[in-house]
Amino acid sequence: MSNLCHSFCFLLLTVFASAFASSADSAAAARNPASFSRDVLPILSENCFQCHGPDERQRQAELRLDNELDAVVVLNRPGGIQSELLRRIESEDRDEVMPPPDVNLTLTDAQKATLRRWILSGSEWQQHWSFEPLAAPPTPRSTFRETPVLNAIDHFVQARLKDTGLSPSAQADRAVLLRRVNLDLTGLPPVLQEQRAFVHDGTPGAYERVVDRLLESPAYGEHMAWNWLNAARYADSNGYQGDRERTMWPWREWVVDAFNQNMPFDEFTINQLAGDLLSNPTFEQKLATGFCRNHMINGEGGRIPEENRVDYVMDMTETMGTVWLGLTLNCCRCHDHKFDALRQRDYYQFYAFFNQTPVDGAGGDPQTTPTIAALPDSDRPRLLAIEQELAAVNHRLGQVRRKTAQENTALISLRDRLIKERDDILNSAPKVMIMEDRTDLRETFILTRGLYNVPTDRMVVAATPASLPSHTIKDQLNRLDLAKWLVSRENPLTSRVTVNRFWQQIFGLGLVRTTEDFGVQGEYPVHRELLDWLSADFRDHGWDVKRLIRTIVTSHTYRQSSRIRMVRDSNNQSISELEIDPENRLFARSPRYRLPSGVLRDQALASCGLLNVRRGGPPINTYQPPGVWAEPTFGKKKHERTAGTAGYRRSLYVFWRRIIAPTIFFDNATRQTCTVRVFRTNSPLHSLLTFNETTYVESARTLAQQLLEDRSLDNSAKLRTAFECIVCRKITADELTVFQHGLERSRSEFRADIDSATALLCVGDSKRNKSLDTAEHAAWTSLCLAILNLDETLTRE
Amino acid sequence: MHPVTEHQLETTRRHLLTSAGSGLGTAALAELLFRSGSVQALAADTNGKNSVLPHSSPRIRNVIYLFQNGGPSHVDLFDFKPKLSQLHGSPIPREFVQGKRFSTMTGKAEGKLVLAPVEPFAQYGDSGATVSRFMPHTAQIADQICFIKSMHTDAVNHAPAISFLLSGAQIPGRPTLGAWLSYGLGNEADDLPAFVVMTSVSKGTTCGQIFYDFYWGSGFLPSLYQGVKLRSGGDPVLYLSNPDGMTRQMRRGWLDDLAHVNELHRQYTGDPETATRIAQYEMAFRMQASVPELTDISKESRSTLELYGPQVSERGTFAHNCLQARRLVERGTRFVQVMHAGWDQHNSLTTELYNQCRDTDQPSAALVRDLQQRGLLDETLVIWSGEFGRTPFLQGDLKNRSRWGRDHHPYAFTLWMAGGGIRRGTTYGASDELGFSIAADGVHVHDFQATLLHLLGIDHERLTYRFQGRQHRLTDVHGKVITGVLG
Repeated sequence: MSNLCHSFCFLLLTVFASAFASSADSAAAARNPASFSRDVLPILSENCFQCHGPDERQRQAELRLDNELDAVVVLNRPGGIQSELLRRIESEDRDEVMPPPDVNLTLTDAQKATLRRWILSGSEWQQHWSFEPLAAPPTPRSTFRETPVLNAIDHFVQARLKDTGLSPSAQADRAVLLRRVNLDLTGLPPVLQEQRAFVHDGTPGAYERVVDRLLESPAYGEHMAWNWLNAARYADSNGYQGDRERTMWPWREWVVDAFNQNMPFDEFTINQLAGDLLSNPTFEQKLATGFCRNHMINGEGGRIPEENRVDYVMDMTETMGTVWLGLTLNCCRCHDHKFDALRQRDYYQFYAFFNQTPVDGAGGDPQTTPTIAALPDSDRPRLLAIEQELAAVNHRLGQVRRKTAQENTALISLRDRLIKERDDILNSAPKVMIMEDRTDLRETFILTRGLYNVPTDRMVVAATPASLPSHTIKDQLNRLDLAKWLVSRENPLTSRVTVNRFWQQIFGLGLVRTTEDFGVQGEYPVHRELLDWLSADFRDHGWDVKRLIRTIVTSHTYRQSSRIRMVRDSNNQSISELEIDPENRLFARSPRYRLPSGVLRDQALASCGLLNVRRGGPPINTYQPPGVWAEPTFGKKKHERTAGTAGYRRSLYVFWRRIIAPTIFFDNATRQTCTVRVFRTNSPLHSLLTFNETTYVESARTLAQQLLEDRSLDNSAKLRTAFECIVCRKITADELTVFQHGLERSRSEFRADIDSATALLCVGDSKRNKSLDTAEHAAWTSLCLAILNLDETLTRE
Repeated sequence: MHPVTEHQLETTRRHLLTSAGSGLGTAALAELLFRSGSVQALAADTNGKNSVLPHSSPRIRNVIYLFQNGGPSHVDLFDFKPKLSQLHGSPIPREFVQGKRFSTMTGKAEGKLVLAPVEPFAQYGDSGATVSRFMPHTAQIADQICFIKSMHTDAVNHAPAISFLLSGAQIPGRPTLGAWLSYGLGNEADDLPAFVVMTSVSKGTTCGQIFYDFYWGSGFLPSLYQGVKLRSGGDPVLYLSNPDGMTRQMRRGWLDDLAHVNELHRQYTGDPETATRIAQYEMAFRMQASVPELTDISKESRSTLELYGPQVSERGTFAHNCLQARRLVERGTRFVQVMHAGWDQHNSLTTELYNQCRDTDQPSAALVRDLQQRGLLDETLVIWSGEFGRTPFLQGDLKNRSRWGRDHHPYAFTLWMAGGGIRRGTTYGASDELGFSIAADGVHVHDFQATLLHLLGIDHERLTYRFQGRQHRLTDVHGKVITGVLG
């Protein structure tokens, strides 16, 4: 009895308190309304949707808070004073409070205040932001008079900086800017002549000319391809037991070419998801569909083929979901999505698009049909000639005109020879797995908990989710319809997700941090208007990737210095900018971040003059310590460096063994499943690599040799040059002093230990110039190796 | 350490500690976590909803997982089923196999012939544990062991089943046990990684399962937490050695120069990440000394070496790896994963199984004894298991004894633990009279994982990491702590 009374009194008190507080709150709420999409939905999603969200089976009390129609019963509109939702979240009664104590979720006071403000101000409901139609918002005006505004990006960024205590930075030093834009667009540093030319080129448009030159250089496509390969889980072997080698590299070449030719992103999409379904598809369009088939293949004995096949279809489906929609479709394999408006049915409707290939999942053939023979260019003329000749021979054989037996035999034997030659050429060509649909379509059933062997009786047909705008009304949709839907004007996600990924590539962090998740649980963008503007602009200007990249890198926002300044806080105390914006989400400066490991390798090779820029072709093996492949495969896989200068080709061409990625790379996608997020860590193991790995040492040795061979330079000039080659700016006096001392110390060390000097000069396969003084060459090698390991060298400044 | 570096490191650390809550670059934070356990817990906290770890008082500090890849035959090694001998050669009764899925090598299990254990069993120790003659050394430490004879798993093939045991999910790409622990509890080792992996295989094994690196991957956790592989040839840690011709003293000189120039640069950029970089290089330098010290076993006593058996001095053997595991735990490494392949006896029960046991039995028992002698067993848990068991029925031809085998079997298998926090000299759970399915107290893989975390003071429902919009955990949405095995 007393308990009951207690609860009752408490309840009264709560209601009273709410009512009392409400008038002041309403006024405050009206002044500073909470944005539903930005502030409210994430709280509801994180704390309520598990039980009151889209997943029907988990739903409690028949209440759902993920859509307005259902949620309205607990909102008490208008006014909200007696909102049940508000009462429950603010209750202190363990039996009443939401979320209930046993789910390990609690609302913070700030979160409660946000919900209160939102409810009292009328609880306006909106769609989740990324599902809203995409339109360019009006461009705000920057109020920083002294800072250049070069395009819309700067307006958005600078307008947002107002009243934050931060201000835009000045342009970076020209040398730093040149290195930055070279690395960001091509993954390679500028060579000495380019550095010197640019630093002295004061004419208007000098920077823009550099940008245009870089966008037109073949290295651009190679660099852009790297992240696409990560997303496409591209590898040169199957993965799993046996890890058999595959030949998907002609598809990799297609990607490089597509970026270099600036193929519009909608076309890029359609070709890769459904090039085979276009009318009269070209060789390249079919080749492009290799994208879908880059998934792992399991050849383990004892695997049930259908289980494999279902895995492959799921992989294709989820990869599409991550890359184009930024949705975590995999959550719906087993149940309706816990947070996003996606049902389990939607998953299998997507799945049905990819469920139609003739692949049956059996065996581990890395060239499982359908495949296409990717002929090297050199074989094409001959093949064409054979085809023509063969046609002619067949024509003559088919002619009714009387032929002598001898003539006939000769023709037949010629025909057979031609066929054999044609087949030999075709058989020698690498086969790339591509897409194709069966004529008799498979029926698709929703699978219980995603298990291949427990289909439900609920059949679905290929379709796009009801929660997203539809595009085509047709009875039967195929992959081509899906691809067109993804890049349709109405699709709110594809452009946002794509632009965000490019932004991440350049700024190190996406405008939406969760590159892979644009759902309710993903991050609400700090710069939503900027993202929307760029995305609408991208879509409305023909999905022009180079134009987008150019817009980004020619903005002042991009060109800013990355120095972290001291600023004044509200009490006029001097504080670091980091205190206000630790992760630089507002772009008051350009970001600094450790370069990706693939770029670090290319940079070392390029800046030291060892890089082989040959493009395309089969993958190569670079240096790798013995046993890396052999140990886990019990000697079945042996690694051998590709001989000669091929071993110095760009990281893009390094053979990617799926079960053991090349050890020279770190913090990269494993290429086992689709990965779009960039991750960076600092481990001592990375320092060991860049200090000790053969490529780095040999690069240093090569640069040292070139410096010593140049008799026109004195020691100081040599050191300056070494620094400029690697760090791409002039060395300061202080730095020069430190390295000069280091060089002298090293020289005397090696003079006293000539065996060590010789040993160091034997690292790497390339020949050394033995006419050079051994100790001197070794000392310069160790100096260059140190410069390769400077923080600045490792960092995108 | 260089004075500038020391100073910088201090400044950075202080800066990080005060601003961690505001979300300063996780890379920087993680870097320092390589050392400091307390900061680690903080990181977990800023990442998501993890309360400060540990959640309860830990019973153990370290784990050594002796993982037997391939699926050791529980009915031949530890799970004694006399009825198998009675029914030897007759078809397995239908009620045992109905509705069960096997690998394609078996397909339908109906009509398969029951196979008796290859070697006899006996009882050992005060606990009277039944152990096969295959495992004479393990038999001698039976009183230290808690056997779980009711393990069961969801997966029927190697890679998915190993992933499931080590990461809680069958598909590759989830963080593994060791990664979760280094993320959650940090590193107490000075200059050594928190999570170390070693692999081996018996000589002459015909069917070895590949050691995929996702068996010790960090999945969606930062790659800092992935297992560091101690290799059996060349540098024990990749790229550990200076290049030929670069002495340690020369390297020291250049490191000081680098720190100096980096510090100049830090003053220019104002970025604490540069101080982190200096610390990172210093840590690498220290590892170049600490790892060789770790792997040099020349100072081990003769009696210790003899305990582990004749292969102990040979790198890349299970015996050598077991000794290294003890040395790692002594130096503070939290999770050591020692993997031995070759347990996939589809047709080699009467041949290769002997080699497997010869190479692993003595070192496993030696490790437990060695830890005990050094007073480390109370704070360390040694786990021995494969990814599943093997079918009580025969694979192959009954008449051809030299090719007898058993297929993969997920429905019951045996795992043993020795060390801190567990009930020693006991057996928990039971399979049915043929060793086919669980008869009592089943322990699912997620239950085992929950129990292991519990021993380390972690509530498996509260060690989480936010990825793809939700809080993930090792045990997915399952798992219960098996109190019956706790001491």
